[in-house]
Amino acid sequence: MNKKYKLIFPYLLLLPVLLFIFGIFIFGIVNIFLQSFGYFPAVGLKLFSLRYYKEILKDPNFFYSLKFSLYISFISSLLSVILGVLLAYLFLSTYLNDKAKFYNIYKISVIVPHTIAAFLVFTIFSQSGFLSRIFFRLGFINNMVEFYPMTFDTKGIGVILAYVWKGAPFITLITYDILKKLSDTYSKVALNLGANNFQVFWYILFPLVLPTISLGFIILFTFSFGAYEIPYLLGPSKPKALPVLAYIYYKSVNLKDRPYSMVINVFIILFSLVLAFLYILLNKIIKKHGIDR
Amino acid sequence: MNINKILVRIIALLLFFPILFMVFLSLSGAWPWPFLMPKSISLRGYLYVFNPSTKILKILINSILLSLIVTFITIAISLPAANALAFYDFKGKNIIKVLLFLPLIVPMIAVTMGIHLIFIRLGIVNTYLGVILIHVIPGIPYGVKILLNVFELKGNKIELQAKILGASTWQVLRYITIPIIMPTLVVAGSVIYIISFTQYFITFLIGGGKIITYSIILFPFAESGDRTILSALSVIFVISVLAIIYLSEKLVKKIYKNYI
Repeated sequence: MNKKYKLIFPYLLLLPVLLFIFGIFIFGIVNIFLQSFGYFPAVGLKLFSLRYYKEILKDPNFFYSLKFSLYISFISSLLSVILGVLLAYLFLSTYLNDKAKFYNIYKISVIVPHTIAAFLVFTIFSQSGFLSRIFFRLGFINNMVEFYPMTFDTKGIGVILAYVWKGAPFITLITYDILKKLSDTYSKVALNLGANNFQVFWYILFPLVLPTISLGFIILFTFSFGAYEIPYLLGPSKPKALPVLAYIYYKSVNLKDRPYSMVINVFIILFSLVLAFLYILLNKIIKKHGIDR
Repeated sequence: MNINKILVRIIALLLFFPILFMVFLSLSGAWPWPFLMPKSISLRGYLYVFNPSTKILKILINSILLSLIVTFITIAISLPAANALAFYDFKGKNIIKVLLFLPLIVPMIAVTMGIHLIFIRLGIVNTYLGVILIHVIPGIPYGVKILLNVFELKGNKIELQAKILGASTWQVLRYITIPIIMPTLVVAGSVIYIISFTQYFITFLIGGGKIITYSIILFPFAESGDRTILSALSVIFVISVLAIIYLSEKLVKKIYKNYI
């Protein structure tokens, strides 16, 4: 092999994957930006302008949707992380997961699509759902309308429940193996020196696994922030989640509405990127303070 | 300690309960409020799924094939990429790492709305090709990351030895690298398969209602549907995914039992 060939060899290895990334992913994002500025030659819009940004930013519905989406994603990702890490910690301290394969059942919700997750939350938590029937039997309510509405509600309880049901096992899945490896190395030493189980977890394992947890949080947050099915099927009709709002403009018969949809998509992308940037920053801080592995 | 054991059981059970409920629901007949039990047991949901006139089994098989193709393509492009990132130093490595990680962060819904028009111009909307191409994107970060981890863990010493002894690049890949990382390939493949098989929105947009996958037929039932049929469809969904993962693990073990 000559030297020149060796120099370009890694790029050749990366070429196929980069073709997909640039040809579809990056190109798609570029198109969103172009169209958000009103450059949409297919319907005769050829002038760049900030008109669509101005109009979307004047629309109170957009801000209700933005607030709703941020709120849903933040609460559901936070609860998923807390529940998921708690479950990983409990598996670790009881060894139940290693002893009995049976406990792997908790993972099943990871492979269930969001459509089914939304449907299951509906059948259990809606006013005609299973929980309301139990409340009726227990005499807490006299008819289904008295049951607190947890689906299609402005608090987004149903939406959050569906995301947590899918998200918590995902967090357990990505943290458990790392926690176990770390625990084998550090826990015995700390336990020998007189720390209790909780102290070992909170002061040793948790800081070490924090980069993984924060990555999990960001994956869940950006995913739910940009996903359509669950808020469409379980969310309130007002405010609508951002992706639902974006799609309404997108499928409008009037193709000249398309740029509005793209402005909303730009905001979805920007918020996601800001979060990814914060993650990289957080990792740098963690590394600087020497608590990385 | 005992409290922890009780807590584990409660959480695991709570997470599993909806699945159990789904199986139960798929076998139930009429079940009005406020009854805790259905009035009758019924196979109606499954009869609907297996009835040839609904074409649901055909759609299931098509979707499985589609997602398998997506998985193979994604693995095929992730493998050399992970290799390059693990064993070579080159300009722009960090930027490329970030780029390959980005589809995990930037929502696919937005990307798909952006590329839709281009796909229309290229004439690949409403085709399997278009749907396969868009399905590959969300799998890339997982494929590259999982394979990169295993490459960094195991190094490439054995490969280098084989090269010194005169093996060609293809021989090294075929007889050394792939057998060694096979278990990881199955893990990465399973993740990519699940991601593809569960996609609704991007399939719907690029497939334009012409390419019908199993995840697509679930949606109208969830919107306004028949709970018994949707539950039966969901049960079949979960079983099919578990079966594919199980079978691929078995198959790989059988083929590579002499290596591992």
